[in-house]
Amino acid sequence: MTQILLRQDHTGQCLSFGQYCDAGGFEALRTALGGMSPNDVQQAVIDSGLRGRGGAGFPTGKKWSFVPRNLPGPRYLICNCDEMEPGTYKDRVLLEQNPHILIEGMALTCYALGVEHAFIFVRRGYEQAAANLRTAIGAAKQAGFLGSDILGSGFSLQLDIHQSAGRYICGEETALINALEGIRANPRVKPPFPAVKGLWGQPTVVNNVETLANIPAIIAHGPTWWKGLAATPEAAGTKLFCISGHVRNTECFELPLGTPLGKIIDGPCGGMRPGSTFKACIPGGASTPYFTREHWGVAMDFDPVAKAGSRLGTGGIIVFDQNTCMVAATLNLTRFYARESCGWCTPCREGLPFLVHTLEKIEQGLGTESDPDILREHVHALNYAFCALAPGAMGPVEGLLRLFEDELREHITKGRCPFGD
Amino acid sequence: MVNLTIDDKQVTAPKNATIYDAAKLNGIKIPILCHDSKLKPFGACRMCLVEVEQMKGRQIPACTTPITEGMIIRTATPDIIKARKMVLELLLLNHPIDCPVCDKAGDCDLQNLTYEYEVNANRFADAKFNHVIDYNNPLIERDMNRCVLCGKCARICDEIVSFGALTFMDRGIETKIACEFEAPLNCEFCGSCVSVCPVGSLLARPFKFKARFWALTNQKTVCSYCGTGCNLTLGVKDNKVLTTVYDENQGFHKGQLCCRGRFGYQFINSERRLTTPLVRKNGTLVETTWDEAIEVIAAKMKTAGASTAALATPRITNEELILFKELMETVGSNNYDHSAGYAHAALTKGFVQSLGVAASPASILDVQKTDLLLVIKTDTYETHPVVGFEINMAVKNKEVKLNILSDKRGKLSKLPNAKTLIHVPGTEIAVINALAKVIVDEKLADGTAASVPGFAELEKALAAFTPDAVAAQCGLTAADIKQLATDYAKAEKALILFPVGLPYPGHNEDLASALANLAILTGKLGKEGCGVLCMAEKNNSQGAVDMGFYSTAGMDAGKIIDGCASGSVKTLFIAGENPVVSYPDHTKIAAALDKVDFLVVADLFMTETAAMADVVLPACSFAEKEGTFTSVDRRVQHIKPAIRKIGQCRSDFEIFGALITKLGGKPSATPAKTFEAISSSVAGYAGMSYASLGETGAYAAVSVKPSFVVPKTMSLASESGKLALVTGSALYHSGTMSQYGEGPMYVCPEGYVELSRNDASKMKIAENDLVIVTSSKGSIKLKAKISMRMPQGVLFAPYHFSETSINRICSGAPVTWVSLSK
Repeated sequence: MTQILLRQDHTGQCLSFGQYCDAGGFEALRTALGGMSPNDVQQAVIDSGLRGRGGAGFPTGKKWSFVPRNLPGPRYLICNCDEMEPGTYKDRVLLEQNPHILIEGMALTCYALGVEHAFIFVRRGYEQAAANLRTAIGAAKQAGFLGSDILGSGFSLQLDIHQSAGRYICGEETALINALEGIRANPRVKPPFPAVKGLWGQPTVVNNVETLANIPAIIAHGPTWWKGLAATPEAAGTKLFCISGHVRNTECFELPLGTPLGKIIDGPCGGMRPGSTFKACIPGGASTPYFTREHWGVAMDFDPVAKAGSRLGTGGIIVFDQNTCMVAATLNLTRFYARESCGWCTPCREGLPFLVHTLEKIEQGLGTESDPDILREHVHALNYAFCALAPGAMGPVEGLLRLFEDELREHITKGRCPFGD
Repeated sequence: MVNLTIDDKQVTAPKNATIYDAAKLNGIKIPILCHDSKLKPFGACRMCLVEVEQMKGRQIPACTTPITEGMIIRTATPDIIKARKMVLELLLLNHPIDCPVCDKAGDCDLQNLTYEYEVNANRFADAKFNHVIDYNNPLIERDMNRCVLCGKCARICDEIVSFGALTFMDRGIETKIACEFEAPLNCEFCGSCVSVCPVGSLLARPFKFKARFWALTNQKTVCSYCGTGCNLTLGVKDNKVLTTVYDENQGFHKGQLCCRGRFGYQFINSERRLTTPLVRKNGTLVETTWDEAIEVIAAKMKTAGASTAALATPRITNEELILFKELMETVGSNNYDHSAGYAHAALTKGFVQSLGVAASPASILDVQKTDLLLVIKTDTYETHPVVGFEINMAVKNKEVKLNILSDKRGKLSKLPNAKTLIHVPGTEIAVINALAKVIVDEKLADGTAASVPGFAELEKALAAFTPDAVAAQCGLTAADIKQLATDYAKAEKALILFPVGLPYPGHNEDLASALANLAILTGKLGKEGCGVLCMAEKNNSQGAVDMGFYSTAGMDAGKIIDGCASGSVKTLFIAGENPVVSYPDHTKIAAALDKVDFLVVADLFMTETAAMADVVLPACSFAEKEGTFTSVDRRVQHIKPAIRKIGQCRSDFEIFGALITKLGGKPSATPAKTFEAISSSVAGYAGMSYASLGETGAYAAVSVKPSFVVPKTMSLASESGKLALVTGSALYHSGTMSQYGEGPMYVCPEGYVELSRNDASKMKIAENDLVIVTSSKGSIKLKAKISMRMPQGVLFAPYHFSETSINRICSGAPVTWVSLSK
């Protein structure tokens, strides 16, 4: 099983710049600047089938192609490292181990897009990641992989770290751009899309850390090779899965994209904890609807997971055992989203606290027969909120209603939580 | 145009329209809460959701989604209705629903939509908000419990007012609108936020519990403060103007008003209004009848004959000014003037010589159509705040370049990419001449310039104004001057703005000519987005000039005052002016008015000037009479009475008419008749009638005959060790009348002197310390205001205030040299 992002021999330690270079680091950048045109780089990424690793799974090459090349003024690349979804910690693991790969990925991306100034938007809590990045940027600059006229190619790049004040909403790319500009992190009206009018009104691409970290391998080994790393012919590349919950090994693993869910849990995760049996899991970070035993065989790739009624999201898998009350779990997650709502649009700002209130009532045994329908109506309404994070916030509730309605109704009919003591 | 289908109706709409715009254009109503056509799309409330067939029936916001060819839109499907109902249920979930005691009831978007969508009961229940209500501010009450977070207040304050007083704070359900760090509201108090609030969260406090919205009668009219000519709707009940009512469709400014326009209406029904004629008997003013008053005045004017003189405020109507002139002609005098004589010189002398017309060859609408604005003095914002909003929008939305030449920084200096060049006070004409010099020398002049009369003389006169020579005396660098000239000359379209008025004695005919020279040199005249806009101070300043109410053959204001002192003026009739406070050199004015044989004052209030009169006549405010006002850009607008006359007040029109009749003349019977005469005699007004003016007025044409004039520069006798005091307008005031408006007086109740931080720390002066400002004319005590905008060695003081009149120490020079002590 090939790994291109994580290095098993380096778990828990940060690769030094020298170690990264010795293992073939920055060769991809040399290759690109040595003989590839920016378009070649972009084409390779398109051919690789790389899809965004930040949650939405949008084809990366396609996103790049939306950037108009004829507008005056600078273009910007922003790396989104505002990882704040409960259950997701892959970017932290990656940056604590290998910040260089992100820098090389960003350099390649900037070359492809004609960007000369890029930012890494780092979540407040990621002190270590930011420190690693700072050291890595210093080393790369000294070695001539950043700065002006990189490797004599005429291509220049300034890379800056922005440690944000942090909020979940900063994960939304336009809110992130606002935050980077120093104004309140609210999503922006689209259109115009960031690719046309983003940071300071200039064309801007926002990509996730893991997405950008995959670029060097695509360039170094070619898109076909990279695509072939996946477990299924439809999938492309590898994916970081970060595991938490009632399994033996709660770690971040790099696995071929398309590995079936059951294989992940039984394989690298080492199966359930002693005494635990699998009840459900969140397949891709807190905003994705639950999977149950029936989804054991679903290939963990964007389309198959979507077909099965959830989303691959960030690949943050949270496993629940038989003793988990799904109403309580959903309440916990919904509280997070209610707190993190930016307060911009009505359904999210007003609806989520009401959902919390309703779920609390149900969990306390005070629910009424009409509550499930009211929940359902909110799930519907939040689909039409201002930004994509609101429907995301409804993932758990939607999953609860679809897969665990019996359990929900049991709370109401019994007048208490069946899992309580 | 784009073709689309809305609710099975084939419609077309312009290319850049949103679904909401397209529907509105075609008479289809989509409900909105957070959308405002003046503001950028926001898309937060989700009331305007519609279904678009091409988007698989997804519900999308109509206010942010641009239309595309062939779009099929449904605005009222059962699903949509359900979604909108749900939005309302959610908004009402925490809303206090205290409509019976809410001033917004009847005019509340949330209330109206709740009614329209029949949200009879709420299926949801949750705790109500418990935000602290801000009752402390005298003008704007903030109750965030009623807020629907449409953000319009914060957005208008940012996008149009460009102040940014209000902002979103906290997140999730705790999100609220607040000032930064929850500080008290301390802003321009234009009330734009109040005007756009769809609910009762932001309320005009002076109107609290005064009347239910539906009990008001609305009268559209024109604001009587500055020369912008903003349209205004007065809310009237029981013959009282209780508020100004926001109408987003009114005027070029779309209902936007400034502090005095929105909150300064209380002078109309003020308890302090004069209500009966008064005559001085045994040294005191006692009540009298109109008959007696008219009789006495007519007799005195007749006796004085050619030694009668008149001073009028340019706040009265065109018709009244014409009649006043007629009155003077009846007694055989041509001694009449307004605004101290110098405040209209830019138009009546400067533009007349340079452009052949006493009017500005530009309109306020050009501000948003130009490429570059050259603003003389940041006070342009303070004197005409709604023009200031136009500048804000031009700079922020249309990327118009803003170059400011000023003796201090100001609000305009803070706009994005604004370039403020600070010159030594009083050197502006020299700088402008230097700009002309650069334009000529660098061959930046228009090809036609050399053939304009006076070119050779100008070119010769400019020899002394090389950038290096001027830079040395004005405190700018030669490079600054060259850059400013190049920017202006090379811009395809450029507009010059400068304020004139009583507090700007330096903004005279020479400044006007110097600026006109720039426009003529570069051919920036007579084209859209080009020209020079002279922003006269009062609501009808341009009208007073158009009506010819200034000295041509007789005495001007200065000579009239001198005449009073010397005895050559026997009878002085002052209509609305308050020279004792507003004219420079208080001691001289007061002595002269004391000396004059017979003084008549017609005014709304017992002003300092009226108190010296032999007869005082109670005049009507603009809200009690009919007539026309002419704005700075020569927009002639019809004002209509909103209330019946107060007490025994008579309009100036009636007063002058009665006197003419008494003196054996035949005055015009109605303002409408007088306006007919105006339209046949005043250049540019031809063809106008009250009917043709309509609600938005009509522009009087300005045709220009350019010639170059060599402007005189001021001699700068700087006094060592002294500070340069410049006067101006405070943002919240206009003339001395705004002292009778509650709003302006709440915000800015007294005079002050603004000084730089360096000067303050050198002299150990703290904010609000009382300081004594002393000039060669005398000294006054003022509160000190320390600000970042003042350059070292320069002081600023507003001139509006009776008690602390800055004219006690100023004598009408552009710069007054003063010393400060504690």
